[in-house]
Amino acid sequence: MLSPYTVLDLSDDRGEMASMILGDLGANVVKVEPPYGSSSRRMGPFLEDAPEPENSLQFFAFNRNKRGVTLDVTTKAGRAALLRLAEKADFVIESAGPGEMAKLGLGFDAFEKANPSIIYVAISAFGQDGPHADYVASDLTLAAMGGPMSVQGNPERAPVRLSVPQAWLHASSEAAVAALTAHALMIQTGQGQFVDVSAQTSMIATMLHARLAHAIQGSDMERAGSVLQAGAIELPLVHECADGYVVLIPTGATMTGMVPWMVEDGIVPEEWIEGEDWATYDRRFLQQQPVVYALEDVFDAIRRCVLLHTKADMLDRGLRDNVTIAPINTVEDLTKFHQLEERGYWLMAPLPDGTDTAVAGILAQLSETPLDVKRWAPKLGQHNHEILIEMLGMSEAQAIEGGATIP
Amino acid sequence: MTTTLPFDGIKVADFAWIWAAPTTSKYFADHGATVVRVETESPPDLVRTVGPFKDGEPGTNRSHSFGDFNTSKYSLSLDLKNPQGANVARRLIGWADIVIESFATGKMDDLGIGYETVKKLNPSVIMVSTSLMGQTGLASTYAGFGFHAGAIAGFYEITGWPDLPPDGPFTAYTDGVAPRFLAAIMMAALDHRRRTGEGQFIDASQLEMSLQMLAPQIIDYNASGRMVSRIGNRSRIAAPQGAYQCSGEDQWCAIAVETDEDWANLRSAMGKPTWANDDRFSTTEGRLSSHDEIDKGISQWTADKSPQDVMEILQVAGVPAGVVQRSSDLMRDPQLKHRKFFRELEHSEVGNVPYTGHQFRIKGYDNGPRFAAPMLGEHNDFVLRDLLGMTDDEITEIAISGALV
Repeated sequence: MLSPYTVLDLSDDRGEMASMILGDLGANVVKVEPPYGSSSRRMGPFLEDAPEPENSLQFFAFNRNKRGVTLDVTTKAGRAALLRLAEKADFVIESAGPGEMAKLGLGFDAFEKANPSIIYVAISAFGQDGPHADYVASDLTLAAMGGPMSVQGNPERAPVRLSVPQAWLHASSEAAVAALTAHALMIQTGQGQFVDVSAQTSMIATMLHARLAHAIQGSDMERAGSVLQAGAIELPLVHECADGYVVLIPTGATMTGMVPWMVEDGIVPEEWIEGEDWATYDRRFLQQQPVVYALEDVFDAIRRCVLLHTKADMLDRGLRDNVTIAPINTVEDLTKFHQLEERGYWLMAPLPDGTDTAVAGILAQLSETPLDVKRWAPKLGQHNHEILIEMLGMSEAQAIEGGATIP
Repeated sequence: MTTTLPFDGIKVADFAWIWAAPTTSKYFADHGATVVRVETESPPDLVRTVGPFKDGEPGTNRSHSFGDFNTSKYSLSLDLKNPQGANVARRLIGWADIVIESFATGKMDDLGIGYETVKKLNPSVIMVSTSLMGQTGLASTYAGFGFHAGAIAGFYEITGWPDLPPDGPFTAYTDGVAPRFLAAIMMAALDHRRRTGEGQFIDASQLEMSLQMLAPQIIDYNASGRMVSRIGNRSRIAAPQGAYQCSGEDQWCAIAVETDEDWANLRSAMGKPTWANDDRFSTTEGRLSSHDEIDKGISQWTADKSPQDVMEILQVAGVPAGVVQRSSDLMRDPQLKHRKFFRELEHSEVGNVPYTGHQFRIKGYDNGPRFAAPMLGEHNDFVLRDLLGMTDDEITEIAISGALV
């Protein structure tokens, strides 16, 4: 879909997923790394636990559908080569931090001069200007400043973040939307655009209905462990089962399908099946209207029933009986989920060590322009010759002067 | 300032509900597209029935669980099971450039407006069906919410404390993840259509899109058998990291030491207490293995300071630190004020209320939600008359049939 367009990815772990998404959607993405490699190459997890640039799974996961060149943009030759690439590009994505690119003479102005219709997307922690623009940040502090931590975790302990870094991935996927929105504007005006993405605000978005709670209802929402707060009602979401945990709430459809299980297990008497209009049970307890069986008794029955069964069995039986139960999956459980296999989700990727491994697949299934992965993450400088010499027409000496190694 | 909007002239028929798909179509609405949100009173979108409600008072038009996810859209109340209602839906589909829906798989077919029909009504339309599990496969009918997908994807397993059952991310995590991927896909499909005239069908699974957020960990498991689990706020590669309790009621500041230099700076900022001079703490390995001890020392230092003071002292010292902000803190955050992040808009029933703004700013274009979320059925007349070009008689007939509820 985006095959007419070229993206220059100057980012690191803070932005690499943005250009990956554009690449997955068909754009021609050129990953520009410093001669020593993107900092994400030094981030784990690493293949074979060996922290080498070609072994980073962080880098491998978010740099597919890209070709890779190395340029030293602290040199004049490196900068000149980059701006020549920009003449042929439609998008630039960077995550160096406010003002860092401008210090190198590679701010929006320089790119706009090289290419007046360029879309320049800058990803940073708090935005390009403002009182916190220069604050140092990490995944943890962004989860704090963006708000989601305040509503996550057991109330008896500290607020928590997700144990796998997420903030820059939220910001990166937002940056892909930002790039395409600005591009749609450019199509109409012909003007290049500068786009300023803030990771803090990307985290605010993940607070969902809690983000404006105080301004609307006069009180904040507070962390409540795994309890779902639905107005005045609190619903426990996580229940222990025979081999782990499941997530379950008593929606009308779920209760309709599940009460017979409870009867079968001898947990509730048979009259429960006919004794309540289960299909509307959830709407009535949410609106605090009369119910035959009290919510606490229903949850007690759920708890006792769920304890008897394994998470995989309940997922499969639930699919048959229209009961929505979600196993709390480990990565291993996830890889065994038949739905993803049936849909052909997993792709086999050749890892740098020569083995093939299943990896997360395409973003969605499209009827006319199917998405695919044309290439996996580039080795450092893999396409220097192809892009700098063949495409730009640089001499070998010029390319080397610009920071590229030419094999 | 340009007055041209990115999606000027684009028309969206929005059959979505809850959070994920409405958030996706909101990107188009806020940036200029004409988006008609099709909903009904019986029953209303579930998120209209849960809070936060304006002033804590429940009401179909008072929920920001609906409002904040549906700015810049027009609302048409329509009973799709009523034959006249189905006719209006077909007119709307013929009018639209994009049709988006997030019903249970197969429901659009049952209503007589599945993709085969939609394509006949409008050959170049882009139709998007999004659900937790996608349109095909044994689990395609799985009728869950974002917290179900969050559990299946693995986000619950990695959120909380190692010695306790998983807490999970805040409610429907994947509802906050999937819209960005889907909006990007739709924008690309729209650009393709602009250039080629070709529409298409998009089958988007919330689970599949969200798994990109765990892509390295999935490869790591497949390649090495290693699995991630929840470790509170700690990091496997750096220490100390955590949320530390400050003065005041349930006030916390997150601190993340990533390097030896960060640690040296933190130690100085704390006034070089003797406990922190331990040689074991000079390396990452040493700090990782003494994490509990170090946490105790830091907590003593933060206990009598406000989280803002802790953050400011550490930021001056160059150490990543950030207040754990609640929604009330976000409203006061000077950086968000500087970005004009929250926007007050006049809602027809609840009056002037703040809405969440955009996560990105486009220079020279004051982007944000354009107008407040609609009341249920607020724009029935506008949609039927002005957008679909119906006559008074047609509108009366539809109203009499009881379809506009």
